[in-house]
Amino acid sequence: MGRYILNRLVRWIPSVFILLLLVYALVFFGAGDPIKLIFLQAPGDVAYDPARIDAIREAAGLNRPFLLQFWDYVLNVAQGNFGNSLVSGRSVNAMISAAVPVTLKIGLTAIVLVSVVGILLGVIAALNQNKWLDNLIVGFALVIWGIPVFVAGPLITVFLVLVLDFDVPYGWGGLFSTKVIVPLLVIGLNPMALIIRQARAGVLEVLSEDYVRTARAKGIPNYQVVMRHIMRPVLTPVVSQIGLLVIATLNNSILIEKVFGLPGLGRMTETAIKSSDYPVIMAIVLIFSIVVMASNLLVDISYPLLDPRAAAKKTEDE
Amino acid sequence: MTKLLEVNNLHTRFKVRNGYLHAVNGVSFSLDKGEMLGVVGESGCGKSVSMMSLIRLLPPAAQITEGEVFIDGEDITNASVSRVNAIRGSKVGMIFQDPMTSLNPFMKIGDQIIEGIVYHKKIARADALSQAAKYLKMVGISNAEHRLGEYPHQLSGGMRQRVMIAMALLNEPSLVIADEPTTALDVTIQAQIVELVKGLREKLNMSIIWITHDLSLLAGMVDRIMVMYGGYIVEEAVIDDIYKSPLHPYTIGLLKSIPSLKTEAGSRLPSIPGAPPNLFTPPTGCPFSPRCTYKVDRCQSEVPALAAVPGAGGDRPHRVACWVDMRGRGVEQ
Amino acid sequence: MTDQALLLPQEEKQFSLAKDAFIRLVANRLAIVGMVLVVFLFFVAIFGPYLTPYDFLSQDLMSRNQAPSWLHWFGTDDLGRDIMSRVIYGSRTAVIVGFSTVSFSLVIGIFLGALGGYFGGKIDAFIVWLIDITMSIPSLLLVIVINVSLKPPLVNWMDAQYVATGNQIYRNTIWVDFVLVFGSLALIKWPKAARIIRGQILSIRNKNYVVAAEALGVPTSRIVRRYVIPNAIGPIIVYISAALGEAMVLESSFSFLGVGVRPPIPSWGNMISDGLRIWQMYPHVLAAPAAVLAIVTIAFSFLGDGLNDALNPRQWK
Repeated sequence: MGRYILNRLVRWIPSVFILLLLVYALVFFGAGDPIKLIFLQAPGDVAYDPARIDAIREAAGLNRPFLLQFWDYVLNVAQGNFGNSLVSGRSVNAMISAAVPVTLKIGLTAIVLVSVVGILLGVIAALNQNKWLDNLIVGFALVIWGIPVFVAGPLITVFLVLVLDFDVPYGWGGLFSTKVIVPLLVIGLNPMALIIRQARAGVLEVLSEDYVRTARAKGIPNYQVVMRHIMRPVLTPVVSQIGLLVIATLNNSILIEKVFGLPGLGRMTETAIKSSDYPVIMAIVLIFSIVVMASNLLVDISYPLLDPRAAAKKTEDE
Repeated sequence: MTKLLEVNNLHTRFKVRNGYLHAVNGVSFSLDKGEMLGVVGESGCGKSVSMMSLIRLLPPAAQITEGEVFIDGEDITNASVSRVNAIRGSKVGMIFQDPMTSLNPFMKIGDQIIEGIVYHKKIARADALSQAAKYLKMVGISNAEHRLGEYPHQLSGGMRQRVMIAMALLNEPSLVIADEPTTALDVTIQAQIVELVKGLREKLNMSIIWITHDLSLLAGMVDRIMVMYGGYIVEEAVIDDIYKSPLHPYTIGLLKSIPSLKTEAGSRLPSIPGAPPNLFTPPTGCPFSPRCTYKVDRCQSEVPALAAVPGAGGDRPHRVACWVDMRGRGVEQ
Repeated sequence: MTDQALLLPQEEKQFSLAKDAFIRLVANRLAIVGMVLVVFLFFVAIFGPYLTPYDFLSQDLMSRNQAPSWLHWFGTDDLGRDIMSRVIYGSRTAVIVGFSTVSFSLVIGIFLGALGGYFGGKIDAFIVWLIDITMSIPSLLLVIVINVSLKPPLVNWMDAQYVATGNQIYRNTIWVDFVLVFGSLALIKWPKAARIIRGQILSIRNKNYVVAAEALGVPTSRIVRRYVIPNAIGPIIVYISAALGEAMVLESSFSFLGVGVRPPIPSWGNMISDGLRIWQMYPHVLAAPAAVLAIVTIAFSFLGDGLNDALNPRQWK
C-alpha cells in the first residue's frame, strides 16, 4: 500500500509542476507587467513614467529571463514563501492561513452532509423505482443540478430570511453558528445531485444481481438485505464521485463566498481575480490543485478497502 | 399424511412493455417427504419460474395470478411477507445456477453462510460459524474453518457451488430447490456435485427438486421426472416410466436427442424441429403442436389437460398432456 | 396461425435502435418538457433579437429600475435598458458560447480520444495522462486564469491590428471575449468527450464481432463506420446535450465573476451579477435572468437525462 501511494505521488509531482509552469507562464507573458498594473491602478494614472517603472522592475528582478524568475518562484514556494499580495502588500502566506480554515470547515462539512443525505435519497429512490417517490427525488436532483449556485444562493436566502425568518447569513461566525446553515445548504445542494444519481444507479444495478436473490432466498427481511448486501457494493461507485464532489464544492465556494461574506479561499480568489493579484492567484491555483489531487488519491486508496476484489487485484499488481 | 408440497393450478406472468409474458400456465403437482423430483425442459419453459413461485422469489415484474402452493399444509401464496421469509431458508432452501454471481463478493464466506440461520434460529454467531464449518466439511471442502474467513473470489467455481449447497443445507430445510446447479460447471465438477447431492440426500433424507435442461443428467438420481414445455407440465412419472415408456412427443424427442454409446458413428443426432413457443401471445391449443410430428387437428385448438394415463393406477400415476395416444410409439433407451 | 407460433418474438417487430430510443424518449414526459424548452431557446436565440421591441443597448435614464409593466414585460435595469430584450439577446450569447464550446471540445476530444484508443501504447498512455491532469485541475480557476491573463495581450494585439487596418474596434474586443471564453471552456471540457470516444474504441476493438470482422478481412474504415460510430453515437449525443447545458452555466458563472463577456453585451451571468447588487430594492432585475437561466439549465438536465435513459436502457425490473 505504501508503495502504491508513493507511486501515485511520484506521478503527481510533474503534473503539479507543469500546472504551475503553465499558470506562471500565462500570467507572465499574458496580463503583463505587475508593476505597470499597480501604477495604472494608482489614482490618476499619472505616475505612468517608463523610466521609473523600469528602475523599480530592475530592482525587483522583473527584467530577468522567464525561466529564472520561475525557478525563483518555485524555490520560494518550496520554502513556503508565496510572496506578497500586489494589492495589499500582505504576505500571501498570512492571507492563506487566515482563509483556509474557513473554506476547509465549510467544505468538509458540506461534503460529509451531502454524501450522507445524497446516498440516503438515492437509495430510497432506487428502492421505489418508478413510483412517485422515485420520480420526485430524481426530479429534485435534476433541478438542483440545473440551477447554478449563484442563482440558487440569493433565491434560497430570500426565501429563508424573509419567509421563514432565518438569521441573515452574512459573515463567519464559526462552524456552529446559525449563520452557516444557509451557505452550507447553498454550497452543498448543487453537488448533492451527483451523489443522488450515482447512489440510485448503483443500487438499481445491485438490485438485479444474483447475490441479492440469494440473500432473499435465505428469508432475511428486506431491511437486512438492503443494509448488508446492497449498501456495500454501492459505496464504491459513490466514492468515485467524491473527486467531482470536491471540485464542485471548491467551484461553488469561489462563486458564493462573497455573497455570504465568508472570509474563505473562495472570496480571496474572487477578489484576486478581479484585481489581477498574481501572487495570490498562483498560490490559490497551487492549493486547489493539491486539494483535488489529494482527494483523488484518497479515493483511489479507498477502493481496495471497500471492494475485496479490488484488494486482491492490487496485491497482484504490487 | 399431508404431502410436503402441493401445487394447484399455478399461473405466473411477467409484466413487459406491451403486455404480459405468460411463463407458468396452470402447473399442478405434489411432492412427498424425502422424494427427489427432476424438472426438465428447455430454456424459457417455465421450470425455474414455477419453482421460484413456490417461495414467491420473483422479480418485481412478475406476479402469481392464480393457484395455490401448500408447504406442509400451509398456504404460502396468500401468506404474509414475514411468514414467507420464515419459510424461506428454514423450510425451503435454494441452490442457484451460477455460483460465480450468486455469492456476494463483498462479504466473507462465513458471514454469508450463517446469515440465514442466525436470523431464523437466533443462535450466537460463534455457534453458527462452527455449524457452518461442519457443513462445509460435509460438502467436501477441506480446511473449512479457514475458508470461512475468505472471500468468494478466492474460491473456484466448484467450491463456490459446494458453499451454496452448504448454505442451503445449514438450516436443515425439508425441501431443497436446486435450479440448474451444475449447468455452469464443467463436466468433471458436475459429476462430483451430483454425487455429493446424492450422498447428502441419503444422509439427511431431504426432498429435492432438481431443475435442469439435461434429461440424461437425472438418470440414476431422481425418483420422478416432470417434463415442462411452454409453461405447462406435459408429462410426469416415475423415472423408469419416463425413460422406458415416454408418452409425450416432446419427451420422446428429448430422449431421442440424447447421444448414447449405441449411436452409430457418423449418424446425425436427431433434434426437434422448430422454435420455442411465444409466451407473449400464446397460441391456442397445445403449445408443442407447431413442432409435433404426431399432431392431430384437436391439438391446435384445445390445450390438452394433464391427466393420468388410462390404465395407470396408484397414488401418483403417470400423467401426460396429449391428445394422441403415444403408448408403444416411444423409444427404448 | 402455425406461422405465428413459429416466429421468434423478436422477429415480429423489428425496431431499429434509433426508433426504439426515440419511442422511449418521447414516453419520458420530463424529457419532452426539456426538449420543447431547448427548441424554444434556440428559436429565441436565432430570431429573438430581431423581434425585440427595444434595442438591448438603448438606455432610458428616465425609466430606471421599473418593475415589470406592459411597456417593459420584465422591467428595466438601472440604466433604463429593457430587461426582456437583454434577456433575449443573452440567449444568443448563451447559445453561441454553448455551441462553440461543445464543437471545439468535441473536435479536440474526438481527435485525441481516437488517437489514444486506436494506437494504444505510449501514445495512449500520454493521452490518458493528459486527460487525468486536465480533469483534476479546478476548472473554474484555470479558465479564469486563462481569461484574465490572455485578455490584455490579445486586446493589445487587436488594437495594433486596428491601427494597422482600420476595422471596427468595438466588434473586435467582443470577439476576443467570446473566443477566450469558449476556447478556454473547450479546454476543460474536451477530456469528457475524449474519454467517451477512447472508451468506445477500446471496448469495440476487443469485442468478438470486431475481431471476427477483422479476421474476415473487413477494412478498418468499414469497421469504424459500422461498429464504432453507431455505438459511439449514443454516448456522444448524451454528452452534447449535457455539455451544452454545462457550458451555458459555466459561461454565466464567468460573466458573473466579471470574466468573459462584459457588459454592455448582455449575458445572463453578468445580468445576474448586476442584479445582485440591488436585488433587495429591485428584485425584478435579478429575477428575470436568474429564472431564465435556471429554467434553461433544468431543461437541458431533463433532456440529457431522458436521452441517457433512452439510449442506455436498463432492465425494467
